[in-house]
Amino acid sequence: MTQRLWHQVQAGEDLAPVACPLSTVRLVMAAGANRDFNSIHHDADFARASGAPDSYANTFFLQGLWERCVRAYIGPAGSIRALSGFAMKAFHTPGQTVTVQARVERKWMEGGLGLVEIAIHSRTDAGLTVGPGRVLASLPLR
Amino acid sequence: MHAWQPMVEAAGRDFGEGRPEVWGEVIERSMVRRYIEPLELDCRLHSDPDFARAHGYADVVVPSTAIASFAMPLLWQPGDAPLFTEASRHAQPTRSHVGGITFGLEPPTTHFFAVDAAADYLLPVVAGDRLCRFGALLLSCHPKQTRLGRGAFIAWQTRVINQRREPVALLRTTFYRYNPQAQA
Repeated sequence: MTQRLWHQVQAGEDLAPVACPLSTVRLVMAAGANRDFNSIHHDADFARASGAPDSYANTFFLQGLWERCVRAYIGPAGSIRALSGFAMKAFHTPGQTVTVQARVERKWMEGGLGLVEIAIHSRTDAGLTVGPGRVLASLPLR
Repeated sequence: MHAWQPMVEAAGRDFGEGRPEVWGEVIERSMVRRYIEPLELDCRLHSDPDFARAHGYADVVVPSTAIASFAMPLLWQPGDAPLFTEASRHAQPTRSHVGGITFGLEPPTTHFFAVDAAADYLLPVVAGDRLCRFGALLLSCHPKQTRLGRGAFIAWQTRVINQRREPVALLRTTFYRYNPQAQA
């Protein structure tokens, strides 16, 4: 992971997308790690009884994919400061691939920090599934 | 009166006041490694203590999106009543820390999921820290029938504090609590 500096950031720049193929094993690993044991996230029958088409990825996991996308861009010396607009519009079920796409909306200096606002969303073959939201992050000045 | 009306009218109230604090476990490096594993979140801040120290942190860094998870307490520990009391395929544990908070003003619902989230990350969290969700401000409650069932969208705001009682995050989450169509 290379370290990008704030002055190297260009508004309008696309972040490298993150493609995440989903399987039941992955959802179970995620539930074990983030402790969201709501049965809709690992029990297909339970999920279907709730009105969903299948078991589906939990919020922590989907937020974590946004973090992975942003972290790869801001590098280890960057900081994630806020997240907003994380609105889930569809179920993310095994067999789908979730892709996170993001773009730098703007950059500015404030209180000695080099800040960037990143527009970000998740999608599957079915279209937009999470967002569009925003991540506020800072990058080192030098 | 609508079954959700007491919740609608309670918007603006902090339901956390006067309630006992419930803390998560002391965060261990292995918890962080397991969180990043299914995400394949490949940043050594989260796995390599020397690398994290070289970047100014006291230990491996908790991913920002893990803060809410790591603030949740154990579901069971020695001395507690049993967590699993029924042998059936879909039996639920007697306690759960996901799904937000219920305070008795809500009509009974059987299902929920998170629909919207936002967060301000105020301070880094590292291995060795311990977190607590502090406060439970009801932002809004909007009853709604959806294609899934009948229920309400309920938005909460809570702070997460560390063992020094410093606020590390401010979390806002909206849940949809409902009874599926067949039950609604």
